[in-house]
Amino acid sequence: MTAGAVEYDESGRVRFHDSCVTDTNQPTFEADWQRRAFGLAVALSEFDHYSWDDFQGELIRAIDAWEKQGQGAEPWEYYDHWVAALQRVVEHHGLLADGYVGPRERDHAAEHDHDH
Amino acid sequence: MTEQFDYPADRESASAAKVHALEALLIEKGIILPTTVDKVLGYFESEMTPLNGQKIVAKAWVDPDFAALLAKDAPAAIAQLDLPDGMAGAEGEHIAAVVNEPGVHNLVICTLCSCFPWPVLGLPPYWYKDPVFRARAAREPRAVLTELGVPLTDDTEVRIWDSSGHSRWFVVPSRPEGTDGWSEEELAALVTTESMIGVAVVEPPAVAVGSGA
Repeated sequence: MTAGAVEYDESGRVRFHDSCVTDTNQPTFEADWQRRAFGLAVALSEFDHYSWDDFQGELIRAIDAWEKQGQGAEPWEYYDHWVAALQRVVEHHGLLADGYVGPRERDHAAEHDHDH
Repeated sequence: MTEQFDYPADRESASAAKVHALEALLIEKGIILPTTVDKVLGYFESEMTPLNGQKIVAKAWVDPDFAALLAKDAPAAIAQLDLPDGMAGAEGEHIAAVVNEPGVHNLVICTLCSCFPWPVLGLPPYWYKDPVFRARAAREPRAVLTELGVPLTDDTEVRIWDSSGHSRWFVVPSRPEGTDGWSEEELAALVTTESMIGVAVVEPPAVAVGSGA
């Protein structure tokens, strides 16, 4: 964690993002695209296109890269990192590549092999 | 502080466009159906909510055997309760409970990303993912807890639990005074999400005027 993300108030105390202290019950998503990005990442993992750990690894890397940029970084938006991680995990697992074999087809192929 | 958290409108619409395009491509390729994302979101939003955590905490307050098992093997304890199917799915398989007791206050954070026990607490509040909250809570938890209104005495030990892919912690807060003889349902209603993250305590029921100090 770099000091780049930390700011201080008049009394010298580190300041939270407003949402940390003003309303702990505010909605999780601030925009519908955040909600859909969340649902998409979970859905693809639930249907075995990648493991949750794979997605989470990408998310950790994306956030870590942002933190290392310090003051020069884009303003914080958690779901931008989420989207970047989602794009990477989709790419690494070749979901959009020609000839991608999904979990259902993989299972089917395994059963088929078994018959012979 | 504003600059670090300003979020220009064009960046917002660019992010929205990226997500929309990705979902459309996945549908076009036949990887998902047009209904898939809504179905998953619907399940999360209706079944994986803090109501599950509230029931677990209330049970632990009235049943010492359950409380002991919860601390030792949370998934086994949770399996005994009549909670929604799929509690073991997404982020549920590594749930672990830590129990507040006199002189010990537990606080859950995730310094890496924002691991969270969705099945028992629902989705994390916005601030849980905030980099400043994550950094400060790890570095100066007592100051953070005091600012958030958690009463700590000098000899209260604060234990920090950093959630990860392997353990997603939630806190069993202390049962408030003035609740003797209460039913599990009545007790569950007192339990807040914040108390199960450890950024709050469960307040005693407001029975008498002037009871809140």
